[in-house]
Amino acid sequence: MPMILVLDDSATMVMSLTHILKGAGYDVETGMNGREGITKITDGAKPSVILTDLNMPELDGIGFIKEARKLATTRFTPIIVLTTESGGRKRDEARAAGASGWLTKPAEPNQLLAVVKQLCPAK
Amino acid sequence: MAAISEANERLVCAILAEQVSTLRDRMDASAAFDQLWRTTALLSWLSGLLNDLSRHSTVTNPILERERAEAIAEIAEIRRGLDELAFFEAQRQDFAKQIADCVVTALEKMAVAEMPAGTHFSSTDLAALYVSEDQRKLHDKVLSRLNPGGEKLAPVTQNEPESAPHEHNFAATYNLPNGQDHD
Repeated sequence: MPMILVLDDSATMVMSLTHILKGAGYDVETGMNGREGITKITDGAKPSVILTDLNMPELDGIGFIKEARKLATTRFTPIIVLTTESGGRKRDEARAAGASGWLTKPAEPNQLLAVVKQLCPAK
Repeated sequence: MAAISEANERLVCAILAEQVSTLRDRMDASAAFDQLWRTTALLSWLSGLLNDLSRHSTVTNPILERERAEAIAEIAEIRRGLDELAFFEAQRQDFAKQIADCVVTALEKMAVAEMPAGTHFSSTDLAALYVSEDQRKLHDKVLSRLNPGGEKLAPVTQNEPESAPHEHNFAATYNLPNGQDHD
């Protein structure tokens, strides 16, 4: 089963995303910030897609993307930014760091699943 | 006299920071979310149970079969609605918490006793704490309302993205997973 790594400092967002993705047939690993995400990857997690918030403590989304792109496992893994930020500057910053796409909160579950399924169909 | 007034303002900021912080910590709806997800899990289980009962039934009853199918369709519809509701609520709560975070941080900075006398926490300092374009738009709206013909203050709103706010931009415009750049 494909695994999605979800990074968000909001516990309710993590719970909600996990629920939606598991319901659609994906395995889900979670982290509350970018540092936890990097640790999961270096500990052996091989996500098919990564969903990350931008504003997180310790290591934010941009920092996470930059570090994840240096790791062999996630060098080319699709990374979708899911954030309240919709500003062009932030979007450019995420893109330059290596983000594959962008969804602005509030997003609809179907919208989110459409993106994830396009990048990685559930088996 | 000015020093006393400044000290009082900092005290007020410190108190307000604590109060907003308390308010933010009360924005916890995890019990409600838990109930929502338990309900959707139960509905999912009921739906499966109806299917299993039908499969193992030795009696064929067209009316019951139709009602079973209708019930399963209705359950699926309710589940979708609950999932959507929970997801939207989670995002709304997250957004409200982030705005509260911003207010708390700003008030805490304004309350810092070590801040040299005469220095101020400016609207630009405040704008640096924003986490969404909505906050920046509101900021600019207040600036233009309170300072219509006064000193020119730069708007903090960032350039609008080319796509609609909810639109996703990925492989077509960004880096593809296989490393090919399609910009």
